[in-house]
Amino acid sequence: MNNMKYSICFISFVFLFLMSMINFFFMIYFIMNNMVIMMEWEIISFNSMSIFMSILLDWMSLLFMMFVFLISSVVIYYSKSYMSSELNLMRFIILVLLFVFSMMLLIISPNIISILLGWDGLGLVSYCLVIYYQNLKSYNAGMLTALSNRIGDVFILMVIAWMMNYGSWNYIFYLEFMNNDWEMNMIGSLIIMAAMTKSAQIPFSSWLPAAMAAPTPVSALVHSSTLVTAGVYLLIRFNMMLLDLFFLKLLLLLSGLTMFMAGISANYEFDLKKIIALSTLSQLGLMMSILSMGLPDLAFFHLLTHAMFKALLFMCAGVIIHMMNDMQDIRFMGGISLYIPMTSLCMNISNMALCGIPFLAGFYSKDLILELVSFSNLNLSIFFLYYFSTGLTMFYTFRLVMYLMVNDYNLMSIYNLYDEDYVMLKSMMVLLFMSIISGSFLSWLIFSYPYMIYLPFNLKMMVIYVSLIGGLLGYFISNMGIYSVNKFIMTYNLSNFLCLMWFMPNLSTYGLSYYFLNFGQNLLKNIDLGWSELYSGFGMVKILKKYSGFYNIYQMNNFKIYLFSFIIWMMMILFMLLFNN
Amino acid sequence: MANVPFIGVKTHAQKVCSLYKRALRNLEAYYDRRNVYRYQAVLLRDRFDKNAKETDMVKAAELLKQGEQELFLVQHPIPRCFATSMGGVAHERVVTPPDWVIDYWHPLEKAHYPEYFKRREQRKKEFIAMWEKEYGPADKKEEKH
Repeated sequence: MNNMKYSICFISFVFLFLMSMINFFFMIYFIMNNMVIMMEWEIISFNSMSIFMSILLDWMSLLFMMFVFLISSVVIYYSKSYMSSELNLMRFIILVLLFVFSMMLLIISPNIISILLGWDGLGLVSYCLVIYYQNLKSYNAGMLTALSNRIGDVFILMVIAWMMNYGSWNYIFYLEFMNNDWEMNMIGSLIIMAAMTKSAQIPFSSWLPAAMAAPTPVSALVHSSTLVTAGVYLLIRFNMMLLDLFFLKLLLLLSGLTMFMAGISANYEFDLKKIIALSTLSQLGLMMSILSMGLPDLAFFHLLTHAMFKALLFMCAGVIIHMMNDMQDIRFMGGISLYIPMTSLCMNISNMALCGIPFLAGFYSKDLILELVSFSNLNLSIFFLYYFSTGLTMFYTFRLVMYLMVNDYNLMSIYNLYDEDYVMLKSMMVLLFMSIISGSFLSWLIFSYPYMIYLPFNLKMMVIYVSLIGGLLGYFISNMGIYSVNKFIMTYNLSNFLCLMWFMPNLSTYGLSYYFLNFGQNLLKNIDLGWSELYSGFGMVKILKKYSGFYNIYQMNNFKIYLFSFIIWMMMILFMLLFNN
Repeated sequence: MANVPFIGVKTHAQKVCSLYKRALRNLEAYYDRRNVYRYQAVLLRDRFDKNAKETDMVKAAELLKQGEQELFLVQHPIPRCFATSMGGVAHERVVTPPDWVIDYWHPLEKAHYPEYFKRREQRKKEFIAMWEKEYGPADKKEEKH
C-alpha cells in the first residue's frame, strides 16, 4: 500500500514536471514567433446563440501554465514526505490534480462559460482541501472560504446571463469592439467584483488567513501562488475593457487598503502560516493595485515571481511546522537556523526575495512597480499606501526572521530538532533556484523593451529608506527586554483592531450571519413551531380527532342512533322517490 | 472531588486560583521571552499575594470581580495555546476511532481482511478468557459493545 502511495506521488510529479517543461518550450517558441493559437469547438447552437468550448494559447497562458505545473509538481513531490503519515494520501493527490485541472481550464479559456467551470472547480476543490483535516477549525474555515468564493461565482453567473444578449460568450471578441458600451462597463464591474472575491481584496479578505487550516502543501500551491492569483489573471485578460471604468479606481483604493491592512495585521499575527498568508494578501493587493493603474504586464510579472518565492516560503514553513510537532505559533519557536540550516537558507532567500532585495526574484517586479508608481500621476494617499506597505513588508519579514531564527527556542527545555529527510529539501531546491533566477529571466522574457524611468534621487531611494526603517522596526519590536513596556496593552483597542484584520473575519462571519440566523430563529419559533403548527399540523390533528371522536359515538356502541339515522336516511330517499314527479 | 458540593459551583479559593492561572496564560501570550515572562509572572503573583490574607469575604469577592474584569479587558486576541489542545490548530486533527468500531463492520467488509479478523476473533476469545480467569465473569448488564 505504501509503495502504491509513493508511486502515485512520483507519477504525478513526473507528469506535472514534464508538462511544465513542455509548456516552457512552447512558450519560448510562441514568444519568439509572436504566435497565438485559438481553438474552438461548437457544443450547442440555438436561436442565434452558440456555446463554444474554446482554448486560447498565447505566451501569457503558456507561461502561467508552466509556473502552475512547476509549483504543483514540486508540491506533490514534497507531499510525499509531508503527508506520509496520512491515511488518505491518494485522495489528497487526486484533489491537488483536480485543482491543477481547474486552474488549467481557467487559464486557457477565452470563454466566460468555460472560465466559470474552472472558477467553480477552483472554489470547490479548495473547499475540499481546506477541510482536508477534519476538525472544527477546518470546517469553519472551509465554510468561510467556500461561501466567500461563491459570491464571485454568482458575479460570473450574472455576467454569463448578461452576455446571452450578445449571442456568444467568447468575451475576448467584445473587449475592444464594445469598449465604451455601458453594458460592457457593467460586465466589467461584475468581473472586478468576482476577481476581488477570488483574490481576497478588502471586503472579502477574511477567508485567506482562515484557509490556512489546510495542509501546508495546499497552502503552498493553492492559497499563495495559484488560486488567489486567478482573480488577478482574469482582470489581466479583461484589462483592455476596464481602463475607463470608475470601478477600477475604486479597486485601486481597495487594493491599496488591502495591502496596507494585511501588512499591519501580519505584524501582529503569531501564527506562522497566517503571517505568510497575510503577506500573500499584501502582495495580492500590490498586484491588483498596479493592475488598476493600467499596467497589466507588471501585475502579471509580479504574479509569477511572487508565486515562486511564496510557494517556497510556505514549504519552509511546512518543514518547520513538521519539526515542531504541528506547532504553528512563532512564540514557541526560535533559533531554528542552528538545527535546520538548509531550510533556513531557503526561508531567508525567499524572505529576501519577498522584500525585494536586489537581484532576487521579487526585486525585478517590486522595484519596477514602485518606480512606476512614483513616476505616475497619483493621489498622495495611494502613494503613501504603496510605500508604507513596502516598509511593512520588511517590518514583518524581519520580525518573522527574528522570532524564528535569532531568538531562543521557547517550547521545551530538552529538544532535538532536525530536517527529516531530503525529499522536502530537494523539492525546495527547485523553487529556491527559481526564486533566485525567475525575476531576471522573466524580465528579459516579458519586456521586449525596458521601461525608461527618470526620478529625483530621493524618490528613487525612497524604497531603500522605507525598507531600512521597516527592517529596523522589525528588529526592535521582536527584541523584548525585562523592563520593556507592553505597547499592545497601552494601545489595546487600536492594536486589537489592527491585529484582527480590522475585525473583518468577525464581520464577514458573525456580522453577516448573526441577523439572518436570528431572523431564522424567530421565524422558526413564531411560524414553524407557532402559528403554522397551530393551523396546519397540530390544529388539523385536533380537528380530525374531534370529528373522529364524534363519528365514533355513532359507530361504536350507540346502535339505536345508528339505526335511527339509517331509518331517517331511508325515509328521505322514499320521500324523494315519491315526490320526484 | 468530595469537597465540591455541586458540579459547576466553585469555592472562592478555586475561583481565585482559576483567575490566577488564566492571568498567567494571558501573560505568556504577551511576553514570549521566558525571562521577561518570569519577571511579569512574579509581579502578578505579588499582586495576588497582597490580598491573599483577606478575611472580609465581601471585599474578597469584590477583588475577584475586579480581577476578572481586568483580565477580560487585557486578554490577548491571539492566545498562545499548544497545537493539540483546545483552540490549537491541530486540535482533533487526527482522531483515532475506538477499537470496537471494527466489530461493527459489515461481514462483506470483514471479508476483505479474512486473516486479520480470524486472528482478532481468536484474540478476543483469549482476552475474555484471561479476564474471566482474573476477575470472574462479566456482568451482562454492564455490557455496552
